[in-house]
Amino acid sequence: MVAAMSNSAAVTASTWITNFLERLPAPAGELEAVQWRGREALSRQPLPSRRQEDWRFTDLAPLTALAPVPSPSSAQVGWPAPATDVFRLWLDAPDDFLNGQSLPAGLSLLSSDEVQQALGHTLAACNCEQHWPVELNQASATRVLALRVSGAVAPTLELVSQAAEDGVMRPVRVLLLLEEKASLEVLQIQLGSGCSLSSLVMEAHLGRESKLRHGLLALGEGQACFLGHLAVEQEPRSQLESVWASHGWALSRFEPRVVQVDGEATTTLKALQLADGQQLVDTHSRVEFRGPEGQLDQLHKAIADDRGRSVFNGAVKVPRAAQRTNASQLSRNLLLSNQARIDTKPELEIVADDVRCAHGATVSRLQTDELFYLQSRGLSAAVAAGLLKRGFCEEVLRALPAAAAAWRPLQRMLGED
Amino acid sequence: MSSSTSVGDLVSQPYKYGFVTDIETDKIDKGLSEDVVRLISSKKGEPQFLLDFRLRAYQQWLRMEEPNWAAVGHPVIDYQEMIYYAAPRQQEKKASLDEVDPKLLETFDKLGIPLSEQKRLSNVAVDAVFDSVSIATTYREKLAEHGVIFCSISEAVKDHPELIERYLGTVVPSKDNFFAALNSAVFSDGSFVFIPKGVDCPMELSTYFRINSGDTGQFERTLIVAEEGASVSYLEGCTAPMFDTNQLHAAVVELVALDDASIKYSTVQNWYAGDENGVGGIYNFVTKRGHCRGDRSHISWTQVETGSAITWKYPSCVLQGAHSVGEFYSVALTNNRQQADTGTKMIHVGPHTRSTIVSKGISAGHSSNSYRGLVQIGPKARGARNYSQCDSMLIGDQAAANTYPYIRSQQPEASVEHEASTCRISADQLFYLQSRGIGFEEAVSMMVSGFCRDVFNQLPMEFAAEADKLLALKLEGSVG
Repeated sequence: MVAAMSNSAAVTASTWITNFLERLPAPAGELEAVQWRGREALSRQPLPSRRQEDWRFTDLAPLTALAPVPSPSSAQVGWPAPATDVFRLWLDAPDDFLNGQSLPAGLSLLSSDEVQQALGHTLAACNCEQHWPVELNQASATRVLALRVSGAVAPTLELVSQAAEDGVMRPVRVLLLLEEKASLEVLQIQLGSGCSLSSLVMEAHLGRESKLRHGLLALGEGQACFLGHLAVEQEPRSQLESVWASHGWALSRFEPRVVQVDGEATTTLKALQLADGQQLVDTHSRVEFRGPEGQLDQLHKAIADDRGRSVFNGAVKVPRAAQRTNASQLSRNLLLSNQARIDTKPELEIVADDVRCAHGATVSRLQTDELFYLQSRGLSAAVAAGLLKRGFCEEVLRALPAAAAAWRPLQRMLGED
Repeated sequence: MSSSTSVGDLVSQPYKYGFVTDIETDKIDKGLSEDVVRLISSKKGEPQFLLDFRLRAYQQWLRMEEPNWAAVGHPVIDYQEMIYYAAPRQQEKKASLDEVDPKLLETFDKLGIPLSEQKRLSNVAVDAVFDSVSIATTYREKLAEHGVIFCSISEAVKDHPELIERYLGTVVPSKDNFFAALNSAVFSDGSFVFIPKGVDCPMELSTYFRINSGDTGQFERTLIVAEEGASVSYLEGCTAPMFDTNQLHAAVVELVALDDASIKYSTVQNWYAGDENGVGGIYNFVTKRGHCRGDRSHISWTQVETGSAITWKYPSCVLQGAHSVGEFYSVALTNNRQQADTGTKMIHVGPHTRSTIVSKGISAGHSSNSYRGLVQIGPKARGARNYSQCDSMLIGDQAAANTYPYIRSQQPEASVEHEASTCRISADQLFYLQSRGIGFEEAVSMMVSGFCRDVFNQLPMEFAAEADKLLALKLEGSVG
């Protein structure tokens, strides 16, 4: 019986891909070759199934319920005005990204030759160029925002993509090359509502001693789905701080992957994900040290309420070359309803002996003694619970680039708007 | 480091249980088929229900695939190249030990398991299993006075078929996994323990497993039932001779604890691990599960895993009764080319169930040591609590230590905590101890036993000391 069920699921999944491929316009533009490649791969690769260990907890039903078509956007719904120290780019703009603006000092567009050369390099280094969500993006993205970063870029680069119409797909592809000693702060905003699909593939190559501060705020609504891949290569003494927060998607799957190519780099990852209603939010992160003296500090927080489901899989790979690595990972989860579910699975693989690797995971509801303390100060139970939840979220949200505040993440995530 | 050479010499300490006993054995032809299953059953004179159980399991096994998700690698196992039944040739089980083949007694003496009356360990009853059959069980009469049944499973099938029919396969169903199905089809012997209502078992019970034949798989089956308010402590030990082929050991252990019952199951596993190049050794693919069926029941697993070429084993607790408690304490040591993928599953079903996991992995040489665990909190497990700790110690830069803890929770009023760390025996710690006049090996062994203390504390007295020594021995020469 099980076999029969999975068979019928496989049929709908394969027709979903066929239909999706049929809806795509003919490959064209600077990414023509990549599109061909992605389409070819999709027609060969079945939709990931829950029989695959990596997709065990991820039910793609919300995705297969959509019939998305890639199309540029015409709407900017609910966007705050950019602050003065923010340089905003609209990634779904009908024509080119810059739309007449000139890039701030330190940022320049890569030439098409350079794009040919660099695109996909980091995905391959992170071993995820053949992942299904990546192929989906490659099959449909018609352009890429490819930037070279030299020196310190003063304003925060804000990259906004919004899928607000039913039946659209927004494939966003970003490539950042940070030269030696460059530094950049990027804030990515992914908004989705209605029956839409947002697909993000971002690659970043961090040269020696460069510094990337990256924030991703992915806020969805309704049936909208989000599939994201972040691939980062770090050269020695580079610093990556990546903070992401996700809420509201019917299905959200985010896969950040970081490779320290020669060790000696610093990686800080912070994440907050909220699942309520019937939402499923899934993060599969992976950090690999290929040289000595790398550092990782990872904090992943999740709240599951109502009938929501939160999944976290955090792999850390420390091969023999990565002596004196110092890595720590903490997964903290709040389970607030008895129909919600939390699945968390750290994965630590170590083959070097002189390393410090620690990881921890907790799953619980709000602490009764903390609630009691606040109530003893005269707060009602509901206010006390709200305050604790807020505190739980803020630890991550405050690490987002300052420009994120304008998008009111806390209020939107906790429904205080 | 200068001391590394001296330790290097020590490493070549041979596996002292690697001898082969030259004894006439009654083997059936190699290969597995329905006829073989029937033959095993008829050799043991089993009732129909057990034959049906075996045949059902065999059919299920035929439809299953060998699991491949564990972080272990081995050549394909040819299940038709194996002998599924081997017994030392002797007549019916002897009434007294004096009649047992002296060669067998000698074997167990050499292993440090004295079966003869005058040499017995005080207050430990032993069931000795040689290849496929149980040789002797000591202290049976004394135990019977208390109503405790301790015998081989084949005898239990004859003498207490109702108990076997009632409990066999209820904790680990035959279709549970590939190796459990194989075991259910061809299991030969093992121990059966039954502690009646309200009885504290007056002595430690112990089973000693010995594989002697080179081409035989050992498929033993252990079933322990503790009725309401009963308690028992059980210890399992195992060794095998050195062969340059791999032998399969696919056991199934089932524990059943009713209301207020308590079962403590300890294992010191020292199967032959193969040589330093990974040739030979036992494939230890074992399914162990305890079922806390009753309220306030308690099951505790303690394991010291030092042997086997490959260990694939996840002693688990299904915590069904309210307020039931599951514990898992493990030390897994791998050296040379050994591979271990071991851990536990704590399935919280009932309310206010509690579990503790303490796992210590030590990897040396070119070995790979993985902790894989699951803590699952079901929707009805209100107030459940779990605490897990898994620590790895790495010795040398060629060994791998992996940790894969799964946590799944569906109950907000439950709390799950997991922590893990990795450390090594560092040069400065060694230097410190050596500067205090402590010899190099002693310093290493002190640090290893300090690392494992939480687990050794859970072992019965006699075995804690043994485990400590075993570990020191296994590690000799690998630190430098």
